[in-house]
Parts: sequence; C-alpha cells; structure tokens
Amino acid sequence: MVGRKKKDVVVTNMKDEYIGHSIEVTPFADSDIEGGSLSMGALEDGGPGGAVPAQMTVSVEEGIEGGAEMEVVEMKHSPEKKRRVRIYSQKFRKEWLHLKEFQGWLTEGITDDRAHCTVCDKELLAGKSELLKHSRGKKHRTRAAKSNPNPPPVQHGLSRVIDEDGMPHLLRIVDLRSDTVTQPSREMKKAMMEATLGDDVFSEDPTVKTLEDRVAQMLEKEAALFVPSGTMANLICVMTHCWGRGSEVIVGDQSHLHLWAQGGMAQIGSVHHRTIKNLPDGTFSLNEVRGLVRDEHDPQSPLTSLICVENPHHNAGGKAIPLNWMDELGALCSELGLPLHCDGARLINASVALGTSPARIVQACDSVSLCLNKGLGAPMGSLVIGTKEFIAKAKRLRKVLGGGLHQSGIVAAAGLWALDHVAPRLSWDHTHARALAQSVCEEHSSAVTVDLKDVHTNVVLLHCDNIRVNAKKLCQRLASVTDEESDELSEQIVVMALAISDTTVRLVTHCDIRKEDVRSATRKLKCLKYIKLDVHLPANSCSRVSVVSPLL
Amino acid sequence: MERTNRIVRASYKIMWRRMYREDVLCRSIPGRQTRQYQSPSHTPTTMTDFKGVVVDLRSDTITKPSDGMKKAMMEALVGDDVYREDPTVSELEKRMAECTGKEAALFVPSGTMGNLISVLGHCEHRGSEVLLGDLAHIFLYEQAGMAQLGGIQPHIIPTNPDGTFDVDEIPVRLRYEDVHYPRTCLVCLENTQNVCGGKVVPLHWIDKVGEVAESVGLPVHMDGARVMNASVASGVSLERILRVCQTASICFSKGLGTPVGSVIVGPEKFMYKAIRLRKVLGGGMRQAGMLAAAAIYSLDHMVHRLAQDHHHAQLIAKAISEEKSRNVTCHPDDVDTNIIIVNLNPEAVTPDQFCERLLMVSEDEIHETGDGGVLVKVMPWTTTTVRFVTHLDASLDNIQAVITKLKYVIRELDSIH
Repeated sequence: MVGRKKKDVVVTNMKDEYIGHSIEVTPFADSDIEGGSLSMGALEDGGPGGAVPAQMTVSVEEGIEGGAEMEVVEMKHSPEKKRRVRIYSQKFRKEWLHLKEFQGWLTEGITDDRAHCTVCDKELLAGKSELLKHSRGKKHRTRAAKSNPNPPPVQHGLSRVIDEDGMPHLLRIVDLRSDTVTQPSREMKKAMMEATLGDDVFSEDPTVKTLEDRVAQMLEKEAALFVPSGTMANLICVMTHCWGRGSEVIVGDQSHLHLWAQGGMAQIGSVHHRTIKNLPDGTFSLNEVRGLVRDEHDPQSPLTSLICVENPHHNAGGKAIPLNWMDELGALCSELGLPLHCDGARLINASVALGTSPARIVQACDSVSLCLNKGLGAPMGSLVIGTKEFIAKAKRLRKVLGGGLHQSGIVAAAGLWALDHVAPRLSWDHTHARALAQSVCEEHSSAVTVDLKDVHTNVVLLHCDNIRVNAKKLCQRLASVTDEESDELSEQIVVMALAISDTTVRLVTHCDIRKEDVRSATRKLKCLKYIKLDVHLPANSCSRVSVVSPLL
Repeated sequence: MERTNRIVRASYKIMWRRMYREDVLCRSIPGRQTRQYQSPSHTPTTMTDFKGVVVDLRSDTITKPSDGMKKAMMEALVGDDVYREDPTVSELEKRMAECTGKEAALFVPSGTMGNLISVLGHCEHRGSEVLLGDLAHIFLYEQAGMAQLGGIQPHIIPTNPDGTFDVDEIPVRLRYEDVHYPRTCLVCLENTQNVCGGKVVPLHWIDKVGEVAESVGLPVHMDGARVMNASVASGVSLERILRVCQTASICFSKGLGTPVGSVIVGPEKFMYKAIRLRKVLGGGMRQAGMLAAAAIYSLDHMVHRLAQDHHHAQLIAKAISEEKSRNVTCHPDDVDTNIIIVNLNPEAVTPDQFCERLLMVSEDEIHETGDGGVLVKVMPWTTTTVRFVTHLDASLDNIQAVITKLKYVIRELDSIH
C-alpha cells in the first residue's frame, strides 16, 4: 500500500454515520479485502465491539489503488477500547449498468459510493449484492412493473413474462411441445414478401407451381399439390385413393391418421379404418396385412382400397421406418394390387436419419403427404405428391374441402425458402434431441427414463413410471420455476413439453431451438433429480411461474 | 338462366372454328398462329412486343397484397393457431366478432371452407336438409360439398333476379316430421348474390327471412363472401345486415385484397364446433397470424375503397349501355356493386368468342385508339352472359382503357352483325 496518508477525522454523530454507511465493524485483520460485502446486520446490534460509541476519532487512510477504496480506520475510542476497524466502501461501477438485473432502474448516486434506484427514488449503497437484494424486494418489483409498461428489450433468447401477481420475470422459455411452433425467420419472411403471386384457383400462381414442381422432382414423382395443412393432405390422399363408395383403408393402430385426424377419413370421406397393430419400431406385420385384405366378392365386406404407412412414425418416438421393410411393403402392395400411401409429415427428418434421399424412401409409394410447417419451419402448408392423374383428382378434393387458396404463393415461398435453408440443417435437431435424451439417461433415474436407441429423429419420449411421477405432473414441473431451482441454476428456465399419454412426455426439437436452449433444457432436466416431483410444495415456499402462453 | 353455368376458362379452340369474318382475323397481329389448337389450360400469350395494358377483370380474387399489407404481414406476431396461441389471429377474430355484432369468430383458409363449416355445424345430425336459393354459390360452385362431405341435402328455392327468393316458400318447403322426409335444419342466404350480378339483397327482405325462419325454428346462415361490398354499397353496417343471421361467412381474399383467408362469425358455442370441423377438414393452419395480419390491414384500409370499385363498375356499365348496341347490353341499374353481367346476343357472338375477342388486339384498333392496345380478361358466365368484376388492382386508368376497348369491340360486332 503506497502513498498512505493518515489523517484524523473526528466523527461526532457516530451512530448515524455507522448506520448510514452500514459498515460492518470487524476486528482488524491482515486479510484480503473483499469489496462490497457490507451488511447492516452487525451494526444494528452494536457489532462485536459492544455498544456503538457516541463519539470517536477515526483515522482514515487514503490513496490505495484498486476498485475498492479501503479506508483503514483506527478507531480511537475513549480510553476503554482501542480497536482498529477496516471500513470497506465499494464505489459504483459502470459495468453494473450493463447487467440485465439492473437495467431500467439503476443509475449512479449522489456520491460515488452510492447508487440510485429511479423506480423507488431511493439512494442505495453501491454494492452489488446490496443492489441485487434491493431488486428482488417486493416493493421494488411492484413499482417497476407499474412504472414501466414497456420494459426495455430483453436479451436474445430470454422472454419477459408477467406472472399472476403482476411481477415480471425474465425467463428462458424452451418450447419443446412440437416442431409446429417454429416461427418464420426474417429471411423467410423476406422471401415471402418478394414472391411473385397469382391466383392459384386459376392455377396461375408461379410460386406455388415452382414449389410443387420442386417437391415432385425431389420425391421423383410426377406431380404435387400445395394444401394448407398436413391433415388436409392426408385426407385428400385417402379420399382420392378411395374414390368409390364402401372403401376400407389398412392403417396402423398407432398412426397419426388413425388417432389424431379426428376420424376425418370416416367422418368426411366415408372410408372405413381397418387398423393393424403397430410394432414398437413403427412397422407392422406384413403377414397380418395379407389377412386383413377383404374378399371383393363378399357383399358383407367393404373393399380394401389402400394401405397407409407413416414415416417417420411419430407415436413410436419419431422412428424412421427401415428402408428394407418399406421396400417389402411396396412389393406386397403391388402383389395385392393395392396402392400405398406414405404419411410423410416429417419425411425429410427420416431421410436425414437414414442417410438416404427422401425419394428412395418413398420409391414404392403411390402417394406421399409431406409437411412444410413442421421441422422445416414454414408457417403453414403441406404437399400431396403422386401421379398426374392422382393430383388432378386431388385438386378437386382440395377445392371441395375448402383448401383452394388464392394468392397462396406467399406461403409457398416460405416453403421454398425452408427447403433451401432449413432442410440442410435438420441433422442439428436430431443432435439436440439426442443431447436431451442423453442428459436424462445420465441421471439413471428410475422415475423418468428414455431409451437412447429410440431417438432417431427430433422426437424424444420420456417414460414416467406412474408411481412417483406421471406425465402430466412432469410437464407441469418442467414448465414451472421454483426459487431453489432458480438459485441453483442462476437462471429461470421453463421447458414446455406435451404429455401424450399418462406415462409419456414428448419433447420435440426444431429449428428455433438453439444450443443455449438445449443447454438450459438439459440443466433443467438434470435439476429434476434433486426436487421431488410429486410432492405438493406449500404455497409460500416458492414463486411458481407457470407459463402457458409465452409473450415473446 | 336456362341451365347451370359452367365456369370454364375461355376455350379458345371454339373461337377459331366459329364463323368470324376472315378480314378481322387477318387484321389481327401477325405471329399469332390462328389455326393452332390451344388447350383451355393455357392463357393466350401476348406478343413480346405488345406494349399495351392487360386488365384482368375475371374476378376480384386475383387481387395481390399491397406493400403496406406485406409490411403488416412481416411485422405480425405469430404463434401456433392450432394451439390457439396466435395473437394476430385472435385479434382478427375479436375484431370481426365486434364489427359484426356476434359473439365469436374463426379464421379459415377459404370461403368454401367457411360455408362448409357453417353448414356442417348447423346440420349435425343425419338426414338434414338446407333451404337455399337455386343460384346460391353454396349450391352451384362448392362442388356439392354439403352433400359430398356432410350427407346433407340442399333444397333449392327459385331465385328472383334481384337475388332474393320468395319468403313464403320457407314455411311451404319446410319439412314436417315424417319418416319419408329429411329434417330441415338451416336457411342459407347470400349477400351479395354473385350469379345475379353482385346484387345487394334488400335489408327488409333479410329481416323478413329472419323473422320467418325464427318462427319455424330455423337458424339462418349468410354466405357473405362479398358482404363488405354490400355494406359499403347500401350504407348499412355489417352488424345491421347480419342481425338476423346466426352465422355468417365473410371473405377477405376477394375485394379486400388479402392473399388468403375468410372468417366465420357466430355464437361462441357454435365456434367450438367450428374449430373441430376446421381441424378435421384440414384448415388448421399453424402460424396463420401472417395471413390474419393482412386481413386486419384490409379491415383498416381496404373497406372504404370498395366504393371506388363500385364506381368503376358503374362506369363500365354506363359505357356499354351508351353504345345502345343490339348485341351487347348492360343496364347500369342492375349493377349494385363491383360485378357487371353483360348480356350478349347469342346469334351474334357467344360468351367464349367475346372473351377471346377482348383478349386480342388488331392493328386497326391500335391505330384508332392510339395507345398500345388493351387486353381485357373476363369470364364467360352463362350461355349468353359475360361477367366483369372490378377490384383494387384495376385502377381508373385501367377502367378507362377497358371502356375504350369495349366500345371498339362493340362497334366492330355491331358492324358485322
């Protein structure tokens, strides 16, 4: 310590000074000085030295380099005690203004060792933990929420959410409910706005034509048709194949077409579902198929008109169907004289997982439905792909269902952009999914399990034993933030997932999930080990932030 | 109308086989191969050195989004509408519910789907029947969707030229409970009536239909694809027009210029059914907020300018009637909104020929009119009529050019026949 000058400063009203400075009076010790760690506690009860003396002479040492100016004070009491007191006074640091916790309310105070809270209009001591404590206080938060209806923009990747008490929280929200939640990027929107448009009902929209030709070429089929949704694409395919009355379709009992299309084939298309048991890998027994095909001469039977396969099989965990099985199925269908339809909602994901082209996968299929609004990130749209004759009939069905959009080139342009820019990076989604699955595997928890071998594409299924935790509770827990967790992780993370059954929670990665989101989700999943999942937490022990609909 | 109209693209091959004065044909711009068969799916290509104007008046659905609309679409906040998390769609639905005086609204991809959802939603049970006009769009041009997909029988009532039908027919045609009869579940109206020429249906008639329907316990659905035009033309608010209707379907993709989208409005309980029907039909779009933003923009900026389209339609109708041709006639009084039905003398020229002639430019015409020539695309409507529809992409200059062309063509036809 160089250039120390001793000077005697007589401090008269000692108690006020002490309280004002909130100085921790410690016995003199030749240890490192930590800047800023000052508290009121020791002072209130008079400190280790006993009662605060009414008057004392203080020697002040000045001129020490470094951020914290240390004033080593020799307290000369009246004759009873002589004790050397080190007083640490943290100066206000400009770097704090850049921290997210202090944005919007922190400014420099009157003196350089004070800070000012603009929201509460209060002078605070310039110490980081002091300021943090102030920011977490209820009064400050209420005032901040009230005074600032337009809060400053938050850091990228974080969201500002107001909870039920009106308190703002900064959260990292990782939406893994589905890959349909992807938002169109700025470049995608630019491509949409620059697209050449026409009226697609008159077949005059060049952008839609380009997209249809491109996808038809990609899958090595004759033609394609742009429709608003995957549900409509599948419905159109089934109804086109089953053009006559009294038709039946052989479809997997765990397939999307059977379970989650609201029975549209039957409701709207008057087509009968004939289900076949799906095996865990998404396939079904080909021998069983033979047994299900109806005798066309039997008036009691409807006519089997179509066989449907889903690739990748979503309910089975996004599994890509083995290529050789697809080929065998194709051969069987040719033998039986039945068309084969592939519900390829996430076909590009399957092609990335299998390492082949999408055309190779659907080689044996007569028609394919492909979604642009899922992992590919377009805002809406799907395609029906098949022969020219098939597409001509499909166009009629699209019109009667109400899918005849006018200037649909504006959304087709998003699909084209997605095929160019998002499709090449789909393998990242698979990597992210595997990372999430691995993080759960590493916990070796018996309550929540996942089989790493089952993660082929961007879907992770977490299996919950229904004893300690069920799927719904796990989803709720993932979407809530407790105080202990936010302290431990020093971040408030909300992971949104879907419970697809009592025992299964589905996580789906997509192009809007970045590395930081995966990292945060991983940390959150690991954190679950420490907190009991289905114990009812008392109301005052944590601030629950349940996010239903994030305000991004 | 003698028989149901076929909406076809102008089949140009018919044109060439008809009797058409040889000299007129030769005076057309050379390079156009007059004997070549052209399939109906090709639009006739213009010459590369054609310096004139092409005005498309086939329909107001061809309108493209303006720059302001595109900007609104780009800046819209979106979410997943299937999870009902899209804030822009919610805002549009709220605004439409408010301005129509209904409880709720639902954004759907097209007017066809809007009508289908409404009819299926009202007629939930097997063996239902719907009362509607014989010239209704739902009956003629929706590919019999209600029957094909919903198992519902349409029961038609003869339509008057002004777009109405006889209200007393409703209790007469209403089915009472009998094992031979289906059950009447719904009455459908259309405003503006497209086939009759974009006619604004009288308000007192709508109220009367509502009264009668209520007395027999039937709900009323309005196919209001162009009801905004009706509202602007008649000066009556949407809320007043739709007062007696339980549900209505309103298009944004027509005169209002949105690329895609319609809205159905009605009671909240109905909307729960409608959301399910929309999903099963495949209308559950994901980030539909971008399209909803275009619709909101059109609500703010495009509704009041519909009056201009009506004015343009009046100009064309007046120009045609001023020619006092015996072959091509039109009455300005028949033109209520933006649709003009032009009557043709079938012995002189058929609708297909007329449309084809409007798509050709002869050298004489260029010399006479002085500008580079005008090509006008219109739609053959029935066996004796042609339909013109004005819209926001046809400016006043375009309309003047169309009028010039029409006058020339009419005079040419009159000189031949």
